[in-house]
Amino acid sequence: MRRWFAIFLLPLASGIVAAESHPALDVLEKNCIECHNAVDKKGGISLQQAPLEIDDVTLILEAVSGDEPGMPPKRDPLSAGDVALLKNWIEQGAEIPESRVLKDTRMVDRKWWSLAPLVAPDVPKVGGTRARNEIDRFVISKLEEKGLSLSEEADPRTLIRRLTYDLTGLPPTPAEIADFLKSSQVDADLAYQKLVDRLLASPRYGEQWARHWLDVARYGETHGYDKDKARFNAWPYRDYVIRSFNDDKAWTRFVQEQVAGDTLWPGDPDGIVALGFIAAGPWDYIAHTEVGEGKIDGRIAKHLDRDDMISAVFNAFMSTTVQCAQCHNHKFDPVSMGDYYRLHAVFAGVDRNDRVYDLDPKITKQKIGLEIEIAGLEQKLKALDKAVEQKGGNELLELRTQISELEALSKTAIKKVAAHGYHSQIVKSRNTEKWIQLELPERSDIESVRLIGAYDDYAGIGSGFGFPLRFRVEASDDPSFVKNVVVLADYTSADFSNPGTVPVEMQGGSSRFYRVTATRLAERKNDYIFALAEVELVGADGKNHAVKAEVTSLDSIESGIRWGRKNLIDGKYTTWDDPRLPERLAVAKTKLSAILESLAEPSKRDALEEGLTSAKQKLVSLPKGKMVYSLATDFKPKSQFKPTGGKMRAINLLNRGDVTSPGETMAPGVPALWAGSTSIFELPENHSEGERRAALARYLVDPDNPLLWRSAVNRIWLGHFGRGIVDSPNDFGRMGMTPTHPELLDWLATRFRETESVKDMHRLMVMSSTYRQVSTNDPDKSAIDGSNAYYWRRSRRKLRAEEIRDAILSVAGVLDLKMGGPSFQDFTFKDDHTPKYWYHLHDPADPDTHRRTIYRLIARSQTQPFLTTLDCADPSQMVAKRDETTTALQALAMMNNPFVIEMSQNVSKRVDSLDEAVELALGRPVSDTEREQLSRVLNREGMPAVARILFNLNEFSYVD
Amino acid sequence: MSIEGNTRRHFLGGLAGSFGGLALSDLLAREGVVSVPHHPPKAKRMIQLFMAGAASHVDLFDYKPQLEKERGQQWDPGESVELFQSSPGVSQPSYWEFKRYGASGKALSEPVSPLGKHVDDIAFVHNVVGQTGVHSQGTLLQTTGFNRPGFPSAGSWVSYGLGTENENLPSYVVLPDHRGFASNGVKNWSSMFLPADHQGTVIRPGDKTPINDLYRPDSISQETDVESLRLLQSLNHQHARERLGDSRLTARIRSYELAAQMQLSATEALDVSREPQYIKDLYGLALEGPGVDDTKINRKAEAEFFGRKCLIARRLLERGVRFVQIFSGNENGFPRRNWDSHEDVKRDHGPLANGMAIGTAGLIEDLKQRGMLEDTLILWTTEFGRMPCAQRGTGRDHNPFVFTNWLCGGGVKGGTYGESDQWGYKPLDPANSTQVYDIHATLLHLLGIDHERLTVRHNSIDRRLTDVHGHVIREMV
Repeated sequence: MRRWFAIFLLPLASGIVAAESHPALDVLEKNCIECHNAVDKKGGISLQQAPLEIDDVTLILEAVSGDEPGMPPKRDPLSAGDVALLKNWIEQGAEIPESRVLKDTRMVDRKWWSLAPLVAPDVPKVGGTRARNEIDRFVISKLEEKGLSLSEEADPRTLIRRLTYDLTGLPPTPAEIADFLKSSQVDADLAYQKLVDRLLASPRYGEQWARHWLDVARYGETHGYDKDKARFNAWPYRDYVIRSFNDDKAWTRFVQEQVAGDTLWPGDPDGIVALGFIAAGPWDYIAHTEVGEGKIDGRIAKHLDRDDMISAVFNAFMSTTVQCAQCHNHKFDPVSMGDYYRLHAVFAGVDRNDRVYDLDPKITKQKIGLEIEIAGLEQKLKALDKAVEQKGGNELLELRTQISELEALSKTAIKKVAAHGYHSQIVKSRNTEKWIQLELPERSDIESVRLIGAYDDYAGIGSGFGFPLRFRVEASDDPSFVKNVVVLADYTSADFSNPGTVPVEMQGGSSRFYRVTATRLAERKNDYIFALAEVELVGADGKNHAVKAEVTSLDSIESGIRWGRKNLIDGKYTTWDDPRLPERLAVAKTKLSAILESLAEPSKRDALEEGLTSAKQKLVSLPKGKMVYSLATDFKPKSQFKPTGGKMRAINLLNRGDVTSPGETMAPGVPALWAGSTSIFELPENHSEGERRAALARYLVDPDNPLLWRSAVNRIWLGHFGRGIVDSPNDFGRMGMTPTHPELLDWLATRFRETESVKDMHRLMVMSSTYRQVSTNDPDKSAIDGSNAYYWRRSRRKLRAEEIRDAILSVAGVLDLKMGGPSFQDFTFKDDHTPKYWYHLHDPADPDTHRRTIYRLIARSQTQPFLTTLDCADPSQMVAKRDETTTALQALAMMNNPFVIEMSQNVSKRVDSLDEAVELALGRPVSDTEREQLSRVLNREGMPAVARILFNLNEFSYVD
Repeated sequence: MSIEGNTRRHFLGGLAGSFGGLALSDLLAREGVVSVPHHPPKAKRMIQLFMAGAASHVDLFDYKPQLEKERGQQWDPGESVELFQSSPGVSQPSYWEFKRYGASGKALSEPVSPLGKHVDDIAFVHNVVGQTGVHSQGTLLQTTGFNRPGFPSAGSWVSYGLGTENENLPSYVVLPDHRGFASNGVKNWSSMFLPADHQGTVIRPGDKTPINDLYRPDSISQETDVESLRLLQSLNHQHARERLGDSRLTARIRSYELAAQMQLSATEALDVSREPQYIKDLYGLALEGPGVDDTKINRKAEAEFFGRKCLIARRLLERGVRFVQIFSGNENGFPRRNWDSHEDVKRDHGPLANGMAIGTAGLIEDLKQRGMLEDTLILWTTEFGRMPCAQRGTGRDHNPFVFTNWLCGGGVKGGTYGESDQWGYKPLDPANSTQVYDIHATLLHLLGIDHERLTVRHNSIDRRLTDVHGHVIREMV
C-alpha cells in the first residue's frame, strides 16, 4: 500500500552503495523516521533497514518537495536547505551506507527542560523586605521582569481561613479565629508561624493532602467496568497515604513502597499496603475471571491491566506519558515502544487481588497453600459428582425429573396444618441425644408404634423436617428408662433415610411408657434439631391410644400453636390431596440415593471429604490476618483468574499494540531518561518477580533522576497555588506545558531532593509572602497578566467537592472525626450479580456517614451524584488537577440535595443566633445589612432556611 | 486548534469586567472550540439508541437465509472460533420470520417489523466490527471510542463541540433503562477530561425527582424557596461587587438563575400528559403508564418503557437539547432485562426488540411529521452482535466479529452500507469493514464537525473521539 506515493513515481537510477555517511541521512533521520520506521512502516516504507532502498528515498524526496509538500504530515515543511541536501544526494547517486541503520533520534534526544540534570539555581538577590524566603525572591524577580509586583498582605482573618482550608480542608472554628486575631495583634509573623505549625501537626492535614494524592492515584473502591464489584479491602491503602503525609514520610520511601514495598521491606505491613497504589485503578472483572488469559480477550484485558499500572507509575511519579509508546515510539519524548513493553515486563508476574498484609510471610504462604488445596479438593468433589451423573445416564435424569415433579406437586397439592408438631431445642452438634416420651394412663397392649415426620418450609426443608438420622424406640414401665427397657426398634448404627411424612411403623409393646430417643439429629440450617409431627400408639383394637398419653421430653420449644409437645398426639399432621404422594416421593428418593451410592466411589469420596475437612480445620487454626487490595502473586484462584505463583508471564512487544501481533520478547527495563540510566535492568538469571519492581523503584529514586523531584514539588505547588509551575502536572514532556518559573521549580526540587520532607515544602510555600497576598484584583496588573500566572496576587480558590461536604458537616456541628478503617457507605448497597449502589435510598441523617469525605466508599460505575456534580475527581482516570465548572446542576445540588437540607436542620440545633451561624459558616461577623436581610428569613422560616442560604453563598465556596 | 483546557479556563477566569449577557455555555463550557462548526452541518442534534447487552443482528436486521439451509447442522465457518462463554453449536437461523419492506425490499424480522414503514430512510451498516467480546469494553468502545475507561463519551464531545441551544436544559441528556445502568454505569456518559458540564445528565422521567435535586425538598415552602433565592442572589451580588474581576463569581450567580429556569423548563419538557392520545399511541405507551406489569418480560411493558423515553427525547430535542442517549436494557443480572441472550433469545429479544421498534418507529414518524427528521440524527447501536450458532439450544453467544449499526435522519441516505458474510459471522469483505471510529466520524461530520479537528490535549496527546482512526462514510451522507 503506497497510495499517496503513486503520483510521484519517476524513473530512477539505482543507488550506488557506499560506506560513508551523508548529512542527507540526518535529514531523513530527523524528519521521517517517526512514521517510516521498522515498526510503523507508513506507506509501506521503512527507512530503518540496511541498506536503504533507493526507491524509498526517492519517493520521500518527491513527497517533501514542491510548494505544498504532502510530507511531513501536519508539520512544517522541510527547509529548502534540507530538501536540497536530499535532492543533491540522490542526484549524485545517493550513496547509501551498507550498515548504517537510521535511528529514531527522538528516542535519544534529551534536550528538554524536564530532562535536564537537576542543579540548584542561584537565588535572585531581589525582593527586599517583602521577600520572606527564596520562593519570594524567584517570584518577585519574575514579576519585576514583567513590570508587576506583589500585592499587599491579606488580613489575619483572611489568612486563617485560607490556611486552614488549604492545610486541613476544613474551616477554622470561631474560637481558633479569635485566638489567631488576638495573637496576631501581638506579633503577626509569629502568630502565623505558630498557626502553620499547628495545622501541619493536625491529623486533619494528612486527610486533606492524601486526597490530593488519591486523585492522582485514581483511587477507587470498586472494580469498575461490568459487574462493578466492591473492593472492601482497599481502604488500608487510603489510610497508608493519610498516615504517610501526617508522618511526613521521606519521599523516596513513599515512592518505593508504592512500587515494591513488599520486596524492599519484607515483613513491614506498609510494604504490602502501599502497593494499593498500583492496584488502585479499574479492573475488568469479567475479562479476567470469566474469560481469562487462555483467550484473546483475556490477554487484551491483561495488557490493559499492565498499561494502567505503568501509566500510573510514570504519570504520577515522573510526569511522563509512557502510555503514548504503546503502538509506536513516543511521538515527542524519548520513550520507545521497546521501553514501554520493557515496563510491561516489570509487572509481568503480578495481578490485583486481596492480600494479607500483617502476618508472618510464612503463615501467609501456608494459608494461601491451604486455600488453593481446598479449592482443588472442592473441584475434585464436583468432578466426582459430575461423573456419577454421567454414569447414571438417562435413568438418573428421569428419576430426578420425577422427584422434582413430585416435589413441586407436594408443595401445591398440600393440606398443611398449623400445629406442626414437636420441636426440640436447637443445638450446634449433630451427635446430641434428645428424647420424647409418652406416658399412658396404664399399661396397654400396643400393636404398633407409628412415627410421622413433621412438615415445615423453613430453610426449604419441607417434609420430614427434623426427623432424626439415627434413633431408637423403646418401651418400659420405668419412666426413667433405666430398668426393664424393651427395645422396639434400633436405628442407631446407620443413618435412616428421611421418610418425609410417610409414617414409620415398628412393633409395639405392652408397657406404660414409650420413648423415642434421637441419637443423631437432623440438620436445620447449620444447626441441629429433633422434630416429629405425631407419635401414634395403635392398640389391638386399632385405636390410637396415644391421644390419652402425657407427653414429656428432654427439652422442647413451646411456641404458640406451631410447635409444642401436645402437638405430638393431636392427630394433626400435614397430608396431601394424593395421600400416597409422600410415599411415592420417599420411594423415589430412596431409589435415587441407592443409585447414587452404587455409582459413586465411596472410598474416593470419603478420602476427598476427609482431606477437605482437615484442610479447612488447618486453615481455621491459622490467624486470619488483615487484607488489603494490593498486588499479589499467590491467591485462591477465582474461575479463570489464576495466580502466577511469582512466575513471570512472557511479554512481547506488540506490533501496533495488538495482542495478536506479538514481536520480540522483552526483558524488564525502563526508558533511559537521563545520562547514566540504562534501559534494561541488570538482574540475576533467577530473579524473583519482586526484584523487577524493586529495580523500577530504585530507578525512580535515583538522585540523578531529573523528573521525580520536579514532579513532586510541582504537585505540592499546585495544591497551594491553584496552578502548577508546570500546569500539566502529569506531563512534563514536549506536549505538556513549560514551567512559568523554571528556576523556582528547580530550586524547590533540589531542596526537596535534600530534605525529602513534604512538610518542609508546605512550610516554605505557605510562609512565603507570595502565598500571603490579598486576592483582590488590580486592573492594571490584570491587563499584563490576566490569569495571574506570575502570582501578583493570590488566586481566589473554589473549594473542592470534598471540602464543601466536610465544611457543611463541620458547620452543622455533626462532623465525626474518627480516622481510618472501612469506608462509610452513603448509598444502600446490594451485593447482586451486578452490585447496586443506590444513593437515592441513603438517609443523610445517618451518623455513620458524617465522617470526612475521604473515608467514603468510592464506587466507579455509580459515582456519588452530589460530589460528582461538584467536579469531584473521577476514580477511573488519574486526575492531576480538578476540573472547575459552574453549572445550573451545581446550584440545584447545593440548594436542594437532601444532604444540604439535613445539615441545615442540624445548624439550627446548634446555634442560637444569626451572628453565630454566620461566624461558623463564613468565619466573620455578620454585617448590619446582612443581619437585617437574614432576619426576615429567620423570623419567618427559622434557622434551617438561613443555613441553607449560607451554604449557597459564593463566599462559602470561594476562599479569598 | 486546541488549547490545554486549564490555561484557557484560567484566562477566562481572570477576565476583567462583568459577565454581562454572555451565556454561561459560551464562556465557560465551549472554550477551545472556536472553529466549530467546521462545515455546514446537516444535523443539529442527535439521539443515540443503545441496546445494552449486545443485540442480535441476525435475529433483527441482518437476514441470513443461509442459516435456514444449515439449520440444526454443526455450524462450521472453516476456522477455529473463540467465543466468550461457549464453543460453537449448531447453525441457528433467526428465531423470527423476516419479511421485506419498503421500496428497497429490505428484510426485517417480526419483532422489529414496526420499523418497516421507515426502512427506506434507514442506513444499515451490517459490517461493523468490535475489538473484544467483553461487555464492558464493547460498551465503552461504542459510547466513548475507547475500550477502556478514561475517555469522554460521544455525547460529551458533541456537547463540547456544539454547546447547547437552550441553557435551561442540559445539552446532553441520558435516559437510562429505569431498571438499572448498562455495563460501566456512568462511564458511558462521563465527560472525563472534558469540562464536567458536558457529562450526560441522567433524567428519570416519571420519577419524583427526574433530575437529581431538581426540586426544593418538601420541608421548604415555595415562598421560602423563592425568598431564599432572592436573598442569596442579593448577598452574592454584594460579595461579587467587592471582588471585581473574578468572572467565576458572576457566573455562579447566573447559574442560580439558570437553575430556577431549569426547574420550569425541565418540568415542562418531561410532562407528556398533555401530549394527545394519538401521539402516545404512536410511541406505544401503555394505559397503565410506567407502572405497567413486567414481572415477566413482555412486549407491552417494553414498548411502554422504550416508547416513553423516545417521546421524552423528542420533547427534549425540540427544546434544544443537543444529544440524547437512550438505553434499552440494564446491567448484567437475573431475571434478565437486557439483550445479553445467552439463555433464551426468544424470551428476551422478542419483547425488547418489539418495544424498541415500536418506540423508535413512533419517534421517526413523529420527527418526520414535525419536519425535524431532516436535521435530527438517530444512531442505533449496541456493544456487539450475537453468533449465528446456538448456545445451549435457545441462546446465542457474543459476536464482536461483526454486528449491525443503523442511522436515520440528519442527512443520512437510506440503504445498506457494508454487508456481513453468509452467516452474519464476519464482514463479507474483511478488508473493508466498518469500525466504530467510522460511525463516530460520520456522525460528527453530519453535525458539522471534522472528527480530526475537534481535539483536546490530555497527557501529551491531542485526544479526539476517533482516536487516530475514522473515515466518514461518504456514500451515506
